[in-house]
Amino acid sequence: MGCALKNRLRVLRAERDWSQQELADRLSVSRQSVNAIETGRYDPSLPLAFRIADVFGLAIEQVFEPDRERQTG
Amino acid sequence: MPAAGTLRASPALWAGLAFAAFGADVALALTGAIGKPLALLLLIVPTALLYRAMRLAGGSAAGGACQPKGEVQRRYVRRVMAFTAAYLLAFALQALVAAQSHPPVPLRAALGLLPALAILGVFWAIGRLIVEETDEFMRMLVVRQVLVATALTLSAATVWGFLEAADAVPHVDAYWIAVVWFFGQFAGAVANRVTYGSWGAL
Repeated sequence: MGCALKNRLRVLRAERDWSQQELADRLSVSRQSVNAIETGRYDPSLPLAFRIADVFGLAIEQVFEPDRERQTG
Repeated sequence: MPAAGTLRASPALWAGLAFAAFGADVALALTGAIGKPLALLLLIVPTALLYRAMRLAGGSAAGGACQPKGEVQRRYVRRVMAFTAAYLLAFALQALVAAQSHPPVPLRAALGLLPALAILGVFWAIGRLIVEETDEFMRMLVVRQVLVATALTLSAATVWGFLEAADAVPHVDAYWIAVVWFFGQFAGAVANRVTYGSWGAL
């Protein structure tokens, strides 16, 4: 059993006034992907997580952190 | 009461129509009301309805039916359309030759293989979609969808095979396994929607 991730995507987007589609375009992924990551339904791969952090100009740990309350199967 | 336009854009309505058409086709084939060639040819109706349902579902999940699709998905759609057209052409050719004469076995085998090759082409198109999709989340949804369809189809084929061996159900030709697998894709899309909030891209 692994540990899931928490993320600050919604807050970071709001700070920049970006829609999910705008963030998706910057990441070259679908809007569904951004929505699934933002709502915690899908944990991105390490390369995609680094790309997300890059888009916001932050370190990866400033965007993602372990969610010790929610475990993954 | 929803407006007619809203109803027409409902994936559930089109999926319901597809399964009703599929059920009617299978029932007509199993009762012998229509011949096997016609039953296979008529499969194009539920397939087209299901395709419409999945396109609508994909569009609404992407934020609107006008959402532009990625190049990978457009390529996948083009490939599936081409193989569907090839399937219909192969059938027409088979019917034409069979109606004119009693062709020898090698020719019958060759004509019988043509629609099968067109179906194999659709399997190949799905494989290419998985390989070419660069969006990891969408790729995972396609893989999950295929796995759900495969699990359902293998289970159905196994159960039916043993029931058939026990003379409890009528004989069903093996190519129906592929047909069931295609309809299992919709179950996979529903599983994706429930688990990940997205229907996927297939």
